[in-house]
Formats: sequence, structure tokens, C-alpha cells
Amino acid sequence: MKEKNKYAFLTSTQMILVYVIIAFSLVVGFRQPAFFSPATIITICRTGIFTMCFALCEMVVILSGGIDVSFPAIGCVAMYVPMYIVNRVYKIDSAFFAFAVAIIIGLLFGLLNGFLVSVLELPPLIATLATSSVASGGVVTLLGTREFTNLPSSLQAIYNTNLITYTAPDSGFTYPLNVLILVPVVAALLVSWVLRKTMLGRGLYAIGGDKNAARVAGFNVRKLQFIAYVFSGVFTGIAAMIYNILMHSATTSALMGDEMITIAACVIGGVRITGGHGTVLGTFLGVLLITLVQNNLNMLGIPTSWQRFVVGIVILLGTILTSWQAKRSMNAGRA
Amino acid sequence: MMKKIISVMAAAALVTVMLSGCTDAAPAASAPAAPAEAAADDAAPAGEAASGTSYKIAVVPKMTNIAWFQRMEEGVNQYNEETGSDIFYGGSAEGADQASYVESLLAEDWDAICVVPFDSEAMMPIFEKARAQGIKVITHEAASMDSSVRDYDIEAFKNADYGANFMEELGALTGGKGKYIQFVGSLTSVSHMEWCDAAQKLQEEKFPDMECIGRFETADDTTSSYDQTKELLTANPDIVAIEGSASTDIVGAAQAVEEMGLAGKVSIVGTSMTSIAGQYVEDGTIASFSVWDPAEAGKAMIGLAIAALDGTVEDGMSLGASGYESITDVDGVFYGNARVDVTKDNMANYDF
Repeated sequence: MKEKNKYAFLTSTQMILVYVIIAFSLVVGFRQPAFFSPATIITICRTGIFTMCFALCEMVVILSGGIDVSFPAIGCVAMYVPMYIVNRVYKIDSAFFAFAVAIIIGLLFGLLNGFLVSVLELPPLIATLATSSVASGGVVTLLGTREFTNLPSSLQAIYNTNLITYTAPDSGFTYPLNVLILVPVVAALLVSWVLRKTMLGRGLYAIGGDKNAARVAGFNVRKLQFIAYVFSGVFTGIAAMIYNILMHSATTSALMGDEMITIAACVIGGVRITGGHGTVLGTFLGVLLITLVQNNLNMLGIPTSWQRFVVGIVILLGTILTSWQAKRSMNAGRA
Repeated sequence: MMKKIISVMAAAALVTVMLSGCTDAAPAASAPAAPAEAAADDAAPAGEAASGTSYKIAVVPKMTNIAWFQRMEEGVNQYNEETGSDIFYGGSAEGADQASYVESLLAEDWDAICVVPFDSEAMMPIFEKARAQGIKVITHEAASMDSSVRDYDIEAFKNADYGANFMEELGALTGGKGKYIQFVGSLTSVSHMEWCDAAQKLQEEKFPDMECIGRFETADDTTSSYDQTKELLTANPDIVAIEGSASTDIVGAAQAVEEMGLAGKVSIVGTSMTSIAGQYVEDGTIASFSVWDPAEAGKAMIGLAIAALDGTVEDGMSLGASGYESITDVDGVFYGNARVDVTKDNMANYDF
């Protein structure tokens, strides 16, 4: 019995992802020794901040049996509107204000998604597509489109605050890691705790697995769906403001198109697209793998013209792996 | 009420006649009516365009949701104000549906449409349809497009000249030594590729001690050029120069270079805009960037459209826009000399 458990652990999706990540790192490191450096860890962390934040939003929604393709649009509105206000309407130099506006915007669109999906019972894909159009179309119509690249000094102060700065000994290059890395870290721990230890978390899994069974078991399906979308909206708002701070750029299109890579990261990490299955750790590994691949193809010497193809292949293989694993666990359950 | 409208119209007509008469009588040199436009204060002939047109002309940008084409809109509006014309400006927000936008425009009886094609292939049948309706088709940023579907194309400059200039700058900044990388928005972007090709060619001839490590795609995404700059510098610490093509390329590169403590050690040149690269020019990470003013490009398209309708298009003519005072004809594609090098000193004039 113990042997069997050990085997199951070693061949779990998460462990396979770990093997793939290690293997990929070894290959890159072999091609380019500069890869094996603390700088790589900092670079991956810094790059992965946005993807990890958005993947957490997406994961919670997918777990609950839904899907959210509106977060890029919501995020764009959430970073654009506060920056618009600061630059064009009234100069409010306050990080609190910027984040508050971003969160309120995320909250409002989250509520809209929740309303469409749980009250009107629209298919989540259609509902969030509609929200996406409303959000990005609305902001362009009402506020036009500019790119705001100057941060008010309160936000610039956050940008200047680094957790650690690594200086490469041979080249002297500096690799700062911004303090905002703590946001996805804390959020991941929090979400993980809620999902595993609270009734709310178990409820999200339950409604994602089988809505009717969950209802019979006494879960308030509507309320739980609402919570999933509202969480996604609010956290998207925060993540978008982080993007604005770290990239010095608020536009109405900066995040558009990110939904595919985010959903892919979740699915590769073992989040079942039909709902009810998935963990924060798995999602983290999915994000790690995709970030690693996206950021090291130049190191690997893969010509730029092939890179999109390679990323596509990685996503495809990752998805095949998880669906194969899902099938295997189902068969095992039957046997 | 009616009377008022008629009198206003009559006055407008009178002004139009007077203005056009004025231009006819007075050659370019004696037209000091150049309006107070900061960007064009050294280009008096810009005032020459001060003849309102009664032609019905539409200007359609690639997309409306970026600052670049908002600047073009400003140019068109300015043209309208200065000349009392009523040129229409409009397009699709994201660009992907530009073809259907232009197709829906064709329901009206335009004299000419000036289009900056988002996707040349998709636009071809629409242009053919427009020309079948007797509409003159003027394009911009589309020199390589099949010329049979349009009347004239106007480009800000020859891509080879523009690209070679970047290498001249890099050569001067680096002393003609060291490794460099090139960023393009997309490997299928003809203009970006032509700039980089020309730069590389000049480098091989003139700066043999420099070496191009490669050309990398950024998808016009600041984040992408930022991430790749860090990656490439880590792998090749001896890179001394970066050439960008998309306006976001050098912005992401500059941020990465600053964060890595390499400001001043890695030279950055490329195309960009004050609104997004200004802060890095201000603090010196980017010495200067090049650009052409989309406001002037918009005016030039209008000028070319009017000339096409009047049948007066010729080599060496002026389109009444700064940088387009003497355009060169190369097989139906007209080139201006509208490159602008933006530095700390003249940045205020190119605030877009």
C-alpha cells in the first residue's frame, strides 16, 4: 500500500511538472552556463508576478466550474482609470487611492460577472466575453486611449522598493527583486489555505465538480459562484495596478490576450478545465514552467521565429499530460 | 435662423475662395501664413496648405486606440481648423476589423480615402472596390503593398535611409565596437525588417568591429522587450548597444538597462514617442530616438489626396506638411524626408 502511494506521488501531475522544469533548466544551463545564477531566480520571479496573480484568479473561477476570459480587459480598465484620473482630472498622489480605485473597478466587474453567471445563468464563457467587451469598449469610448507612463511619486516609491538586489559578481549587473513579489506569494498561501481548510474552499470544489450534488449537500451555489468571480475581479484589479507600477505603463490594451497563456498555465498545472480539480501548488508549477520557457528561449538559442511555435508545443504537451493524468486517475478510481 | 445659416455659409465660401485664390497667386515662398504650430516653426511652407478643400476625404488610421494615431487625428483636426476644410478622421479601435470599417465607409460617396493599412492583404479587395466606385485611394506605411489596388502611397522616408541612420548613431555612441541586438515588433513587419536590414548592412560595411547577435521579436509589447533585454544581457554581458523598431521596444529595453545598472553603458537607439520614452531621454538612458510625426503624415496624405484629385501629383512636389516639402517618386510610392530625431532639447515640440 505504501509503495503504491509512493508511486502515485512520483507520477502525479505535479511531480511530472517538477521533472520537466528540472530537465528544461538543465538543458538551458548546459547551453548557457549563465543560467545557473541567482539572477535567473530573480528574473523568473519578477516576470512571473503578473502571470501568477492572474493564474490565481483564473484558477479559483475554473475550480468553481466557470471560466473567466474578462480579466485582461478588467485589468486594463482597473489600471487605466486611476492613472487617467491622476494624470488628467486631479493629481492625487496616493498609492492607496490608486489601489482603491483599481480594486473597486475589479469588484464592480466581478459583481457583473457573478450576476451574469449565477443569477442569469449565462454560460461563463459568453458572460465573461461580454464583460470583457463592455469593459474595454466602455473605457475606450468614455476615456479614450492614451498610454500613461509616468507614475505619481507614491507609486514610483513602491517601484523603487526592492526586497533584494543581486549583483552578478563577474558582470556587475544588478538584478533587483521588487517588493511586490510578496503579493502573489501571500495571495497564493491565502488562497491555498482557504481552498483546503475552509468550508468556502470546499464549497468551490464541490460546485465545480457537480453543481446539483453540491446544492443537495447544502452549498449555496449562487453565492459561491459570486464569490469566485468577485475574488477574480478584485485580485485582477490589484494585479493590474502592480503591472502598472512595475512596467510604468497603463494602457487600455496592455494585458489583452493574456487570458490564453493564463488558462494554459492553470491547465498545465492540473486544474481541470471542467472544474472541481486543481491546487495552488499545481498552478504555481504551471506558471513556473510557462514563465521559464517563455523567458529562456533566447538563452537556449532558439531563433525568434520559432519561439511562438515552441511555446505552443509546450502548452500542447502540458495539456495532453494533464488530460492523460485525469483519465488515468478516473480509471484507477473505477478499478 | 435660416438667414443666419446662409450668411455663415456664404462667408465660409468667400473665405475659401479667397484663400485658394491667395495660394494660386502667391507661390510657396511668399506664403508666410504659417500658423503657430510648434513642430513646424522651421518649416514655413506648411502654411501653403491653407486652402480649404471641398473634396470629401476620409483619413483612416490603422487603429484609433494608440497615441500615435491620436497624434494623426490632431494633425487632421489642425488641418481642418487652419484651412476650414472638413476632412473626416475615423477608424476601428483595435485595427483587426479595419477592413470592415473601411468597407462600411464606402457606402458614402467619398472623393478619396487615405488609409494606413493594418493588414494589407485584407485591405486589397476593399481598395479595389473603392477604386471601382471612383474613389482615389491613398495609403501610408504601405510601400510594399501591391500598387495596383491604390493610387498613391506616401512614406515619411525611405526605410533604408531611416534604418541606416540608427547604425550611424550607434557607431558614434559605441565608437564602432562591440555586440548589439535588434528588436522588431514582428519578423513579418516589413518596415521594421527593412530598418534593421539597412542598419546591419551599414554596420558590416562601416563598423566591421561591431557584431549583431540577433534580431528578436517583441510583439510591440513593452514587457517582452524588457524581459528579453534582461535575458539577452545576462547571456551576453558584452552587449553594448540595442536597436529598437516598435515604439515600445526601446522603452522596455531602457527600463531593463536601468534596473541592471547599465544606464550609460549600453547605448539604445530606435523609434519611439515622447509620451512613452520621454522619461528615459530625460534621464539619459536613451540619448535620442527617431520618429516621424504622424500629424504631418496625416496632413501629407490629405495633400496627396487633393493633388491626386486635381491631377497634379508629380515628383518633387510639396504636400504642405513638414518633412514633405519635396517628395520623391519611386514607382508610384512617394517618399518624404520626415525623420525627426528627438532629444532632450526638442522633446517638447514632439509631445505625442
